[in-house]
Amino acid sequence: MSENDLSLFAHLLRRAGFGARRDELEAYAAKGYEAVVEELLHPELRPPIEEDILHRYNGWDQGSGMAPAWLYRMINTERPLEEKVALFWHHVFATGTAKAEHPHTNMAQIEMFRHDGFSDMKTILVGLSRDPAMIHWLDNNENHKDEPNENYGRELLELFSMGVGHYTETDIKMAGRAFTGWTFEQPIPLYTTGLYPVNFEYNEDDHDDSVKTFLGQEGRFNGEDIIDIIVNQPATAAFISRHMYNFFVADEPQVPSWDTEPPQDPNAIEMLSKAYFDSDGEIRPMLRVLFNSDFFKEARFKKVKNPAELVTGVIKLVGTDRWPTPGFARYASATTVMGQMLMNPPTVEGWHTGSEWINGGTLNERVNFAVNQVADATKPGVGEIVDHLASQDGHVSPGQFVDTCLDLVGSLVVSAATRDGLMEYANAAGEVSFGTEAEREESTAHVVRMLQLIVATREYQFA
Amino acid sequence: MSRPYGLFRVGFPYVKTIGMRRVTNQSMDVAIGKDGTVYILGRAGAISRLSWEDDNLENVCGPGKDDGKFVWPVAMVIDREENLWVTDESLNRITVVNTDGEFVRKWGEPGEENGQLNGPSGIAFDSEENVYIADALNHRIQKFTNDGEFMFSWGSPGNSEGEFNMPWGITVDELGDVYVADWRNDRIQKFNARGEFISTLGRSGSSKGEFSRPAGVEVDSDGDVYVADTGNNRVQQFSAEGRYVDQFIGDATMSKQSVAYLMSNARVLRLREMTDLEPLKRLRNPRSIRFDDQGRMYIPDFGSFRVQVYKKEVIPLERGEIDVPLRAPTLLTV
Repeated sequence: MSENDLSLFAHLLRRAGFGARRDELEAYAAKGYEAVVEELLHPELRPPIEEDILHRYNGWDQGSGMAPAWLYRMINTERPLEEKVALFWHHVFATGTAKAEHPHTNMAQIEMFRHDGFSDMKTILVGLSRDPAMIHWLDNNENHKDEPNENYGRELLELFSMGVGHYTETDIKMAGRAFTGWTFEQPIPLYTTGLYPVNFEYNEDDHDDSVKTFLGQEGRFNGEDIIDIIVNQPATAAFISRHMYNFFVADEPQVPSWDTEPPQDPNAIEMLSKAYFDSDGEIRPMLRVLFNSDFFKEARFKKVKNPAELVTGVIKLVGTDRWPTPGFARYASATTVMGQMLMNPPTVEGWHTGSEWINGGTLNERVNFAVNQVADATKPGVGEIVDHLASQDGHVSPGQFVDTCLDLVGSLVVSAATRDGLMEYANAAGEVSFGTEAEREESTAHVVRMLQLIVATREYQFA
Repeated sequence: MSRPYGLFRVGFPYVKTIGMRRVTNQSMDVAIGKDGTVYILGRAGAISRLSWEDDNLENVCGPGKDDGKFVWPVAMVIDREENLWVTDESLNRITVVNTDGEFVRKWGEPGEENGQLNGPSGIAFDSEENVYIADALNHRIQKFTNDGEFMFSWGSPGNSEGEFNMPWGITVDELGDVYVADWRNDRIQKFNARGEFISTLGRSGSSKGEFSRPAGVEVDSDGDVYVADTGNNRVQQFSAEGRYVDQFIGDATMSKQSVAYLMSNARVLRLREMTDLEPLKRLRNPRSIRFDDQGRMYIPDFGSFRVQVYKKEVIPLERGEIDVPLRAPTLLTV
């Protein structure tokens, strides 16, 4: 197995998951690339997260615990792509808790993404339209037959399916009217016994059953009819394909500019759109095409890690937090100060991604978080890196030292200037040896310092 | 105290609900003082003190690692001196505080050697106030003196007799037998005071006598066994012989504090008028059961931030007042 192969698997697992340790990469590589892609595409083949353990230790289904619970899943899931797909849809269908402060519904929405995220676009959009968190977020509970509210209809077209430029204001109004009566049952209020699940409710008496004209078609359309029309539009295939490319392959400009800025790789969007129509809008076949494509394999480090990816990737690297702990909320706080409060996006448009994740403040937080995490040599992942180096005949040259550490943090590719900087430290440290206890202690300190330098590089900010 | 020959089970009515969100959040366990004060252990570290009338007598303790504070408290018992003993599965220690929350002492350290703890969960006294601890992540039960000196332990990981998978609740009956909620094995195991296996109750499922992650177990003075069947949102009752008797799924009404709170919240009152209130009655993930000396059963209703109370009504029967046990069921009409 060549190092290049491991590098490809590291790339795949960063994008289709949240990173992987060296031993995991070697196990994946032994199966072959396409087989691993298939395994990732079928999370049902792997055991789910142990919900009873989560529930026993955390009561994380209440309030502020939802983001820590999700991060726990990202770090510990054996179904990494399932969790990544949920995060993908959360980026696309950005729904926040700030408006309703009813976290149960937001957690239920994420669970829907887990469950339906690989299915077809119709199932996903119908589920989204029936989702109480979304209904409240975009006011569809206030969308009445005699007093329509077009907010959901607008965002369904603009942000969730077709994108600006492919529909008219009339289409928006018609879509809004088609979703009248799509609401939810009034839940039991928070006080004095906590939150309860919320159920979708279709109120036929409040539904506008009149004839509507939508995207050139006419009928007594209800919400599902509107979705049927939407999912058959080439614009929908292209829009979802571009979202997929932006999230899984390489950073695109921000979504609001997509009606004027063409995709950087039109052929990739075309391939994904074709997969969309070849499979009646199913997401799994699109992802299969994506992960097996050359454009994906060639896109290593062409995407700035979002904060959830950065935090979970670092924690997986250091190998801690494989079990619920009271302090898990600190990771949710970490992503928040890096600009991503999970389940609380800034607007319905979601987060601006790519280079916009980075500013003076967030870069500082990202680097400090990673540097602090790798500072402790007693952490299992750091210890494994030390052991790996120690297994190299006891003596490691400065060049080997740098290259091995870069490899073990995820086959990281760095610029010549960055490598020169790392070599400067390695040369100063001299040959790293592990023969005696004293040498091991000194060398371990060098390893920690080298890891700190690596996770502080520009390159480490990229996935 | 000896158990009655037989029982005439008259009823087991719901009595009342005490506590509410913000006062008794995530109620893990409950203890009842001699004066009737109800102490409710919250997952976030506070011990709420309520009167039987549901007056809030102020919370004590709270979150933290300092003496008298808790990070992940699990279970609580009250001793004869009215001190509260609390397990903390994060700090791996047992903390004793008085009823004003003042620190008395602590013991325990992390590890897997004798006397060390890894995720201490359930706690129970025997008649001499020696202490049994369900040492969850070491998959064993440990017995300590009242001073925290290790006495002996039993159990290992597994699902055979005498083995455990993350045991949680534990209790000791008046005969000295020990009952353990073998949480991840979905069963209750019964042992004698020396830790020798006696019997098993239950299996995985949601039917009568089946459990989904049982967290708490208690035995009343009649020998009836109660199981906080957490994942099935209920408490099940069994006879001393292990026969399924009844289940409690929750009958809550609004506590006095809740009524007072809601009477000043017009919006919440309106929302309640728009919704189905039936789920409000039900237990959500109960994690323990405790009795007071009047036969009242307290169920910490973890998911609904309160405690539901029932009252056992039973007439003890002597030999001759009830037929001898029958060997087989009968269709004889009597």
